Amino acid sequence: MTALRAALLLTLGCLTSIATLARPVSYAGGWTVIGESDRQSSSALVHYTPSPNMSLGFKTEVNRDSDFAIYSVHPTFLAKRWFGADYQGNLYFHGGIGIATGINDKPESNQMAIYGGVMADWETRSLFVGYRNRYLDAGHHANQFMQAFRAGFAPYEGDSGDLHTWLMLEIDHRPSDPDSVTATPLVRFFKGPLLVEAGYNLTVNQPLFNFTYRF
Amino acid sequence: MNLLIKNIAIITALCFCLPATALEQDDHENHATHDMHQHHDHDHHASDTGHGAHDGHQATGGPVLTRTEDIESALAEGGEPIVADVLGVVCDFCALAMTKIFSKREEVAAIYVDLDTKALNLVLAPGASMSDQTIADLAVQAGYRIAEVRRGDAALGSAS
Repeated sequence: MTALRAALLLTLGCLTSIATLARPVSYAGGWTVIGESDRQSSSALVHYTPSPNMSLGFKTEVNRDSDFAIYSVHPTFLAKRWFGADYQGNLYFHGGIGIATGINDKPESNQMAIYGGVMADWETRSLFVGYRNRYLDAGHHANQFMQAFRAGFAPYEGDSGDLHTWLMLEIDHRPSDPDSVTATPLVRFFKGPLLVEAGYNLTVNQPLFNFTYRF
Repeated sequence: MNLLIKNIAIITALCFCLPATALEQDDHENHATHDMHQHHDHDHHASDTGHGAHDGHQATGGPVLTRTEDIESALAEGGEPIVADVLGVVCDFCALAMTKIFSKREEVAAIYVDLDTKALNLVLAPGASMSDQTIADLAVQAGYRIAEVRRGDAALGSAS
């Protein structure tokens, strides 16, 4: 059954491509702060965009399930952007390298952490689909793969500076977790330089909270 | 671990090759560039398109200038109005990026990115000028593409 669910997700992924936070690469000269907290971990990323094709930042991530933290340098590359009068599509590569160390009751034991993955999204002013994945090797702390699909719609189309609202559903797949496939409905609010997302993972009863601030 | 490092090395190599061309490959962009260089033809043929056209668009030739307070004020001071159709501008982060990049320029007296008309609305400072190529280059810095630029009466929707 688990294999069937995973196959279904992979198929959906191939057909639709899926989700991430909005715009992990900013305009040239822009700074961005991103905070994310999901069923497994919480993280903060600050990045600078030297060119419209890449951003470089520093990321701190705390894995609450496995009691370790990662401190890493985190580049993101915009590999391709598709433009249209009414849509935009993006393909990104992201990665990081740093140190993983135990927290809470877990003994400190520094290990090299390296991770990488792909993000893709396609959106209009009222529809959004996205996909992201990541493979993490943090030595004896963790060796994990995850992927997430997201689809959403905007009940109305706001103009510049208005409050934009999106209703979304995220399905994530973490093969190493007992609950490998979970579903999180969420709402996204977007106004000017600030994006905030709040949701609730229905499978494992965990909240989701994300934000992005651009300046 | 070795496999992971190999994969990341391949991805990194691809990343360094792809970004230079990442924003240059779409058919729409080629079409957009063609359109941008043809804009004078559009301007000269825009007609019967006075102010107040439906949805901010002229009957032909795309949207006209969106008049915010800042835009009106800059127009009153005699600045040149410019409307540029933007590809891929679908959210407030897109509008913010365009606004940040263009606002840094001394030539720009007022700016408004209209998501409804998908247009960059500019009024230049009196006596200032900005070429189509400069507008296109600045849009690239923001991460977007310009499809067409209209100026003066064509931007105001009063070309004849």
